[in-house]
Amino acid sequence: MKRIGRALYLILAFVLLYLPIVYLAYFSFSSGKDMVRFQHFSWVHYQVLWSDKELLAIFLQTIILAILSSLIATAIGTCGAWGIFRLRGYRRKTMLVLNNVLMVAPDVIIGASFLICFTALGIGLGFFSVLLSHIAFSIPIVVLMVLPRLQDLDLTLIDAAQDLGAGRGVIFNQIVLPEIMPGILSGLFMALTYSLDDFAVTFFVTGNGFKTLSVEIYSRARQGINLEINALSTVMLLVVMLLAGGYLFLTRQHELALGARS
Amino acid sequence: MKIIELKHVTRQYPDGFTALHDLNLSLESGKFYSLLGPSGSGKTTILRLIAGFDQPTQGEILFNGRKINDLPAAQRPLNTVFQNYALFPHLNVFENIAFGLKVKKVPADQIQVKVDRMLSLVRLEGFGQRSVQELSGGQQQRVAIARALVNQPKVLLLDESLSALDKKLRKTMQFELRSIQKQLGITFIFVTHDQEEALAMSDEIFVLNEGRLQQSGSPSAIYDEPVNEFVARFIGDSNLLMGHMIRDFEVEFDNHRFECADAGIKPGEQVQVLLRPEDLSLVAPQQGKIVVEVLSQLFLGDHYEIWAKDDAGFNWLIHTVEKAPTKRCGLHFAPDAIHVMRLGESESEFDQRLSQYEDNEK
Repeated sequence: MKRIGRALYLILAFVLLYLPIVYLAYFSFSSGKDMVRFQHFSWVHYQVLWSDKELLAIFLQTIILAILSSLIATAIGTCGAWGIFRLRGYRRKTMLVLNNVLMVAPDVIIGASFLICFTALGIGLGFFSVLLSHIAFSIPIVVLMVLPRLQDLDLTLIDAAQDLGAGRGVIFNQIVLPEIMPGILSGLFMALTYSLDDFAVTFFVTGNGFKTLSVEIYSRARQGINLEINALSTVMLLVVMLLAGGYLFLTRQHELALGARS
Repeated sequence: MKIIELKHVTRQYPDGFTALHDLNLSLESGKFYSLLGPSGSGKTTILRLIAGFDQPTQGEILFNGRKINDLPAAQRPLNTVFQNYALFPHLNVFENIAFGLKVKKVPADQIQVKVDRMLSLVRLEGFGQRSVQELSGGQQQRVAIARALVNQPKVLLLDESLSALDKKLRKTMQFELRSIQKQLGITFIFVTHDQEEALAMSDEIFVLNEGRLQQSGSPSAIYDEPVNEFVARFIGDSNLLMGHMIRDFEVEFDNHRFECADAGIKPGEQVQVLLRPEDLSLVAPQQGKIVVEVLSQLFLGDHYEIWAKDDAGFNWLIHTVEKAPTKRCGLHFAPDAIHVMRLGESESEFDQRLSQYEDNEK
């Protein structure tokens, strides 16, 4: 009885969470112009979306931005994690706290501070400023994903590599990097999704020439209901679900490998 | 020829803990050495100093007469087999063994030849493409040995390398290690807390305790003539009693006087006496030197382990191949079964005294 109750509660919670999304996606297939009544099934909004060259350009820009910023953030974050890992005592704690503060700080504050910073430095608002801020807010999450894998690293492996004549570069590239790769990949995926769905920070630092999807959807949604947005949101939802699935698959693979090891 | 020397080496940690106190060691080329001691005795510290993973706070480490204190581990002509093997988990057996050669940019065809030769030396032919994670403990051990030896080191360091294996496999690996060492003729330095292992494999043993060298010598010298109570207790079973010297070649303990083989000690000086359990035998009460009462006896397959108590209340440990004949029996031992140790005598003082009275005998 208790188990059934718990299952019902879970189902209810998930229904409540997913209902708005499903509702939105459902109407993207309606031939009507509003979300009052589902007319009949059609791809019409997707066709409009496909022919909306401006929106597609923004979609592409968003993806390029996400890939570029997450790759750069992963490279910097991995080096940062290695640096923090090699620190000891209070220095390490300080660095970790500084890293975590960036994680929990409200996006609005981060966005506003970037805006102030960019204007003060005279950096024009556009693709470059958005890229810089996306890289910046993705680094802490990469650090957090990579650091635990470094802590699990068997330090005698490094001794052994040294013993066999390997220098620092070889040790990092051939011993450390393969061992922490799962952490780096999780960091990359997290950075990718962070960049894709960020609204608050981007809203602050974007200028006239450059828009991301979330900002565009926001401005269009304010102009009234348009089921093209529903179609676009459904597409994005699919992209994010694929990413999450890929991430899950990779971590599962790694756990299986770990299981085989022990 | 001396290959490695440690001169007045001290290793103190920033928190004040001293792992090694003014240690002097000298190792000759081509021999099998063991560093033997309980955990915390400093034996692994010595290994890490020689390998270059750690630096002494004082003193010198010499390799072929050249000071190597500041030479990085990567440039030292020696290799290590780690306690947990430290095989690279993402590389297969071949790549693990080839790692050191690849780092040194050896051509691929030569790497192939050398790795194959190593695989056959450690009897793992055909295992090259296996993942190291699917190997058994003994096989991983062999890969670790091959990975170290393929670099043709002058010295091979082994850190508790057999302790993770089960007893039977350990015995096999002891034989194999010894035969590999004989075959290649390079110096092995083996760190262990297992006295049997050290006795079975070594040309020379260094016994360590609390960061100080207690005694060094061949396995039989250390077993038969331990310099102090620590060495006596650590290596083999022993019966230890307090007593005092009467004169040269006569010692009193357990309320009796006995003829012994030791000399060069002042009459009346308090000493400690060691009798190994296997040097004792049980005879009829009137034939023995001491009368004892048997408390318990255990049959251990190849011998009996007997506990017996004498009239003075001392509990004797006796190893014999035959059962105790009666409940009360005599304890017999030869004069040279008694090993007399002076309290607080260092190894060098001991050696000096030994050579002195042995000269007098001639």
